[in-house]
Amino acid sequence: MRAAFWIAVALALAGFAQLPRAADEPLAATRMIDFAKDIEPLLAKHCIECHGPKKQRSDLRLDSRAATLQGGTEGAAIVPGKSAESLLIRLVTGMDKDRVMPPKGDRLSKDEIALLRGWIDQGGEWSSTATTEKKTNEETWWSLKYLVRPDVPKVFHEHFPIRNPIDAFVLAKLREKSLEPSKQADRRTLIRRVYFDLIGLPPTAREVEAFVHDASPTAYEELVDRLLSSQLYGERWARHWLDLVHFGETHGYDKDQPRPHAWPYRDYVIRAFNEDRPFERFIQEQIAGDILFPGTVDGIEALGFLSAGPWDFIGHAEVGEDRIDGKITRHLDRDDMVSSTIGTFNSMTIGCAQCHNHKFDPMTMEDYYSLHAVFAAIDRTNRRYYADPALMKKRDALDQTLRVLDRESKALQAKMNSRGGKQLADLDRKIADASRPTKGPQHVEYGYHSGLAAKEDMTKWVQIDLGKTESIQEIIVNPTWDDFGSIGPGFGFPVRFKIEISDDANFEKNVEIVLDRTKSDMANPGTDPQSAKVEKMARYVRFTAAKLARRVDAFILALAEMSVHDTSGKNLAAGKLVTAFDSIEAGPRWGKKNLVDGLANQVAAARPADLAKLKEGRAELIVKLADPKLSADLAAAEKAMDDAKKEIAKMPPGQLAYVGAVHHGSGAFRGTGDTGGKPRTIKVLPRGDVRKPGKDVVPGALSALSHQPARFELPAEHNEGDRRAALAKWLSDKKNPLTWRSIVNRIWLYHMGRGIVDSPNDFGKMGQLPSHPELLDWLAAEFRDGGQSMKKLHKLIVISSTYRQASADRADAMKVDSGNQYCWKTNRRRLEAEAIRDSVLLVSGKLNLKMGGPSFQDFVVKHPEHSPHYKYELHDPEDPASHRRSIYRFIVRSQQQPFLATLDCADPSLNVEKRNQTITPQQALAMLNNQLVLAMSKHFAARVRSEEPVEEKQAITAFRIALSREPTTSEAETLTRYAKDHGLANLCRVVMNLNEFVFVD
Amino acid sequence: MFATTRRDFLWQSGGGLGGIALAAMLGRDQALGNTRRPDGGLHHAPKIKRVVQLFMAGAASHVDLFDYKPELVRRHGQPSDFGESVEAFQNGLGPWLKPVWDFKPYGQCGKMISDTVSPLGELADDIAFIHNMVGKSGLHSQATLLQTTGFTRPGFPSIGCWASYGLGTMNDNLPTFVVLPDHRGLASNGSRNWDSTFLPAQHQGAIIYPGQPNPIADLFPARNGDFVTRNSDRGAIEALTKLNREHIAQRQGDDRLEARIRSYELSARMQLAAPEALDISREPLHVLRMYGLDHNNNSWPREINVPEETDYFGRKCLVARRLLERGVRFVQIWSGNDNGFPRRNWDSHEDIERDHGPLAMGMARGTAGLIKDLKQRGLLEDTLILWSTEFGRMPSSQGGRGRDHNPFCFTNWICGGGIKGGTTHGLSDAFGYKPLDRAHPTEVYDVHATILHLLGIDHTRLTFRHNGIDRRLTDVHGHVINEILA
Repeated sequence: MRAAFWIAVALALAGFAQLPRAADEPLAATRMIDFAKDIEPLLAKHCIECHGPKKQRSDLRLDSRAATLQGGTEGAAIVPGKSAESLLIRLVTGMDKDRVMPPKGDRLSKDEIALLRGWIDQGGEWSSTATTEKKTNEETWWSLKYLVRPDVPKVFHEHFPIRNPIDAFVLAKLREKSLEPSKQADRRTLIRRVYFDLIGLPPTAREVEAFVHDASPTAYEELVDRLLSSQLYGERWARHWLDLVHFGETHGYDKDQPRPHAWPYRDYVIRAFNEDRPFERFIQEQIAGDILFPGTVDGIEALGFLSAGPWDFIGHAEVGEDRIDGKITRHLDRDDMVSSTIGTFNSMTIGCAQCHNHKFDPMTMEDYYSLHAVFAAIDRTNRRYYADPALMKKRDALDQTLRVLDRESKALQAKMNSRGGKQLADLDRKIADASRPTKGPQHVEYGYHSGLAAKEDMTKWVQIDLGKTESIQEIIVNPTWDDFGSIGPGFGFPVRFKIEISDDANFEKNVEIVLDRTKSDMANPGTDPQSAKVEKMARYVRFTAAKLARRVDAFILALAEMSVHDTSGKNLAAGKLVTAFDSIEAGPRWGKKNLVDGLANQVAAARPADLAKLKEGRAELIVKLADPKLSADLAAAEKAMDDAKKEIAKMPPGQLAYVGAVHHGSGAFRGTGDTGGKPRTIKVLPRGDVRKPGKDVVPGALSALSHQPARFELPAEHNEGDRRAALAKWLSDKKNPLTWRSIVNRIWLYHMGRGIVDSPNDFGKMGQLPSHPELLDWLAAEFRDGGQSMKKLHKLIVISSTYRQASADRADAMKVDSGNQYCWKTNRRRLEAEAIRDSVLLVSGKLNLKMGGPSFQDFVVKHPEHSPHYKYELHDPEDPASHRRSIYRFIVRSQQQPFLATLDCADPSLNVEKRNQTITPQQALAMLNNQLVLAMSKHFAARVRSEEPVEEKQAITAFRIALSREPTTSEAETLTRYAKDHGLANLCRVVMNLNEFVFVD
Repeated sequence: MFATTRRDFLWQSGGGLGGIALAAMLGRDQALGNTRRPDGGLHHAPKIKRVVQLFMAGAASHVDLFDYKPELVRRHGQPSDFGESVEAFQNGLGPWLKPVWDFKPYGQCGKMISDTVSPLGELADDIAFIHNMVGKSGLHSQATLLQTTGFTRPGFPSIGCWASYGLGTMNDNLPTFVVLPDHRGLASNGSRNWDSTFLPAQHQGAIIYPGQPNPIADLFPARNGDFVTRNSDRGAIEALTKLNREHIAQRQGDDRLEARIRSYELSARMQLAAPEALDISREPLHVLRMYGLDHNNNSWPREINVPEETDYFGRKCLVARRLLERGVRFVQIWSGNDNGFPRRNWDSHEDIERDHGPLAMGMARGTAGLIKDLKQRGLLEDTLILWSTEFGRMPSSQGGRGRDHNPFCFTNWICGGGIKGGTTHGLSDAFGYKPLDRAHPTEVYDVHATILHLLGIDHTRLTFRHNGIDRRLTDVHGHVINEILA
C-alpha cells in the first residue's frame, strides 16, 4: 500500500515537472493565514471585479471555495496544499509573460503573493465571516459541495483484482479500516445473484450449467450484457423507481377511488430503463416532458411522476378552493409533489420547511413555497394524448389554435363590450346566467339510478304506476346532477330514450310511444327538463333508455324526477309506485322512490324561452352598435373556433394518462383550466397555516446551491409550463451536485443492498454520512459526464470485484464492521416481495410475460359506487391475467395486497428509498397458505411431472427447477421421502418455502 | 413466565449472540436508543400494559351522546347563530337541533349521559370525559388519520404500532397489535389507519375477522389447498427445518436464516393459539349476557337495528377481552364502515336517530360489557379504554334530522388503569360548537401523549428516524393531561 501511495505521488509530481518556475517567485508566508483578514480583501481588491458575481471572465469565479476549486475554462484556480501547482499563483506571479493577472491596474505585491501562497499551502480554507450563508453551506456540508471527480487511488491486492475504479476506492477504504476483502464468489453464486439483481428472476439450471462451464474469459461480461439488454431488466428496475415515487393506482384517503389511467406512467418508466434513457432527459420528462419534448408520448406519460402519490378525492371534489379544508387539501396536494420531487431527485427533506425554515439543513420556507409555485397551476387529472406523433401534433396545434382564437375573440368581445357599454354587459351576464346549467336546490335524494352495465347498448327502463287509468296531459322528465366522476349536470341521462304509456304493466300490449329519441344520439341536456305532450289516457308510464349514459367506468340510466300531469297541472305521479329493470338503491341518494318524490332539480322550465329572448335582444343591440369590421372579425374568429372544434371531433379519441396537468374541471374541483392554466398565487404560510398567509413567492428551488439560481428568472408573461421546465433544468443541471450523487447512490444501494449513503432520501444533516465519499463522487462524476447511462453504471458495478465477492460472513471482519458498510463482502439478501412472487410463477411454469398495458387486478371490487372494497381473498388465483409479473399489478392504497405487504412490498403512501427485510410468522403463513402459492404448487407439480416421468426423480427435478442446482444426497433424500409421503404438490410447496428460495447469496 | 420462555427461546434459537433478527421478529428488539425497563415501561414505570381503542367511523355526535347541552334544548328550532361565519362541510347550518335522546344523571359524579348510550351510565364514575377536543379537518380521511396516526396525511404509523414498537410483545403466538374492523367494510383510509408505514412490519396492526374460516390472513391454507393435510403440514415444517439447517451450515453467522426457520415454528403455534383465542363459544351465559350476546339470532332485518349492532360490536368486544388476556397489547375496534349507503356508520347527515340510535346502543352495550368484564377479572387496573372518533357533529340541524361535521369540537373519553374516573375535563361551549376556552383545547396529541405516558413512555422520546426526521407519534406537540390521571 505504501509503495502504491508513493507511485501515485511520484506520478502527480511528474505531471507538474514541466511547469516553468520564476526564479524570483515569492516564498509562501509561514504564519497562519486568516482568510477573512488576509485573503478576502486581497481577492476583493484585485480579482472579484472580473471573477465574481458581476463578471466571470474565462468562466472563473473567485468568490467561493467551490467555485475557485472548480475553476474556469483553464481548470481549478487553486490546488489546496500546493501553491506551486496553483494556476492562480502562476498568473499573479507573472510566470506567463503575456497573461499576467490582474491584466490592468496594480499587480499584486510580493507580500500579497506570499499571503496567497501561504493560504493555499495551508489548505485554501474559506472560513470567512463575510461570505454568505450559501457559501458556508457548500463549504461545510458534503452533499452540497460542488461535484469534482476525485483521483482514483492506486492500490493492488493479490486476490482482489482491481477491475475498475470502484475496486480501487473500496480496497483503499478497506485498507484504511484494516479489513480484507472476501474472496470472489463462485460462478454458481454469481449467476443467481446477477439474475435476480438485473432482471428479478432466477436463472434456469441449464443457464447456470452453461455459465459455470463457459471457458471464455468474457463469459461474465457477456452474461451481464445479455441481461441488461433483456426487456425483463426494465420491468425489474422500474419497480425500484416506482417505490421511490410512491406510485399507486387508487387515490387513497376517503373512498379510495381507482385511477384507471395511471398505468401509462408505469410503462414509461419500464421503457425508459429498457431504452437506457439518459438521466438528464429522464428527469426532464417527468417534471416537464410536455414542454421540453412536445409531441412525444414519453413527454406526457412521464408526467405521471407528478401525480403518482396519494390524493384526497373528496377534499377536491366536494370542497372548493375558497374554503379552509379546500385550501388545506390543495396545500397537501402540492406538498406531496414538492416533497416527492426534491426527495426523489435531490435526496433532501424539503417538506420540513413548510412550517419553519429547515432545522438542520439550509432550506428555507421560501425555498419550499417557491417550489409550490412551480406546481401552482397543476392538479392530478387525466390528460389526452396520441401515440401517433402526427395526431399528437395535430391535436396540440388545434388546441393551441383554439386557445389563440379564444384569446382573440375575447379581445374582440371586450372591444365590442366597451362600445356596448353597460347595456351589453348586462345582457351578456343574463345570457350567461341563463345558459349555465344550475344544480338547483340540493337535496340528499338525487333520484333514480339503474344498475351498472358494462356496455352502453343495453336497454334499461323505469316506470310509474299511477294507480288507475288517468288522463295524462304532459310528462316531464328531470335529469339529475351528480359530481361523481366530474360529470355534474345530466348525470346518467341516456343518449337515446323513449317514453311510452300503456294500461299493461308489462308493456306488452297497447303500448303507445309518446316521445321517441331512439333514432339518433342526443347531446346531454344538462339539467334541462324533457317533456312530452300526451293528451291520452293510461295507467302506466315507462321511460326506456335505448343507449345508456357513461358513468366513468360503466353505463347507467339516472333520472331526478318524472312527473305526470293532468290538465290542471297536478302531478299524478307523486308518491306512486315505481318499478324498474334494476336499481342500485343506494339510499338516500339513489332509489326508485326518489323518482316521484317531487324533489327535482328545479331548473326553471321557462328558461329556454327566456334565453331565446335574451339572445334575440343581444343580436339587435349588436346590429345597432354596427361596426361591420368588428362584427365580421368576431364572427370569423367564432367560425374558426367552431371549425377547430369540429376538426377535433373528427379525430380519434386518443389515450388518457393520469398525470400532473392543468385540470379543466367543474364544481368544487375546477383546477386552473378556466383561467388558461394561470398559476395560483402562492404565499409563504408561517407555521403551515393556510388561514394566515404571508408574503408572495416566485417559482424557484433550493437556495443552498450557489452554482444555481435559487429563484427562476422567468419573463413576466411566462406560463405554468415554463415554471416546470425551469425546475426540470435546474434539477438536471450538471452543476447540481445533489442530483448526481443521489442517483448513483440509489443504484449502488439496489445492487449492493446498502447505500454509500445509507439514508438515500436524506443527504442532509440528519441523514448518514457517506462511507466512501470519494467513490460516491467518482461514480457521480463518471455517470454525469459519461453519457448518464444507467446500463453503463450497472455494468460498472456488477463487473467490479467488489460486487463479485462471496457473501459468507467472516468473524475477523464482523468484529470491525458487522454492518458491512465498507464492502468486505457482498450482502446476502432476502428477495423483495415481487421477486418472490414472480419466481413462484416462473418455476410453476405459469409466469405470463405480457408486457405493458392496463394493470391486472388480483382482487374483486365490491361496492364500486361509493367506497370500493378491494377483496383480495375473492380473487381466483387461476386467472391467467394475474400471472403477469408483479410490476403490472394494480396497486391499491387503502388495502395493500396482503401477500406482498407481508413480504415488505413498498407502501404506496411513502417514498420508499429502501425495502424493509423483515422476517415474521405472518410471512411463513403467507408463503405456506396463500391461495397463489397453493395454486402454483399444483401447477409446479404438473410441470415437474411433464418434465420428469420417473416418479422417484420428480422431487429432485422440482428442487432443480426452483433453485437451479442439484440437491446434495442428504437433501435429495429428505425431498424424495417427503414427496413420497405427501405427494408432489406438497413437495413443491415446501421447495418454494426454503430459505434458499427467498435468499440470494 | 414470559421471561423464562423468552430466555429459553433466544438461547435455543440464536445461540446467544446472533438473535437480532429473531428478537426483531418477536418484537423484542429494543426500540432505537432505548432500553426497556424490567417493569415493562420504556422511560418510567407504567400504569397500564394494554390499550383498547374504540373508533367510531364517520364521526359520532358528542351532543347526542355524552356532552349534554341544555341550551340546545331551550333553543330547539330557533335559527342557529354561531356568532361568526362557519364553514360546514355540507352547509348543514339549519336551526338548532336538541339532542335526539334525553339525558339522565349517573353515578356519584352525576354525569349526564344520553339514553342511547345508557348502558355506559353505570360506569360513569370510572370514565374521564374530554369535551373540548378539536381537530384539523372536516374531511373524513384527514380527520381519521389525525386521530389514528397524529397526521392528516397518509404515511405515519398508528398509535398501536408505536406502542408495539416501544414496548414489544407480551406473547409468543399472537400479534402485538390487533385490529377488529367493522366487518361490513373498512373505514376511510382503509388499512392506512393501522399500517406500520416506516416502522418495521411486525408492528403493523394485524386484521382479525373473528368467526371467519381464516380470521387472520393465510392462517390456514386457502380453499384451493385441498392437497394440504394436517399431516403434510407437520411434515412440511420438519422437512423445511431440516433442509434449511443444511443450507445454514454453509452460511454461519447470518441470524436471519435461523430466524426464518423459527418463524415457521411460530406460525404453527399461531395456528393453534389464534382459533382458541377467538373462540367465544365456551364463554358462560352470564358473560355473554354482559356483552348482549345472550341470544340465538343470526338473521336480521334489512334496516339498521339495535340487536344486530349489539351483536356485531359485542362480539368484537368479547374477542378483544380474550386477546388482551392472552397478551395482546393493543386492540383497535372499529364501529362503522366507509361512507356508503345504506349507512352503517356514524356520518349522520340525514338522520341522527335512524343511524346513531342502533350504532350507539350497540356500541354502549358491548363497551359496558367489556369494561365490566375486565373489571371483574382485575384486568381493568392495567388496561386502558379510549373511546374516539373523527370529529363531532354540529349543534345545528342538516335537512331537519341530520347533523353536519363539526371538526371544531368533539368528545373523547378514557377509562381504566391510571385514570381518575368520574371526571370531566375540558368543556365545550353552551352549544357544543367549540371549546368553552378556545385558547386551550385538547388535541389528539394530548390524548396520545397521555396514553403513552401511562404505558411508561415519554412521548417526546419515542422516536424513529425516517427520511431525515426523528418522527414522533405526537409530532412536535402534545401534553400529558394530568387532570384526568388518578
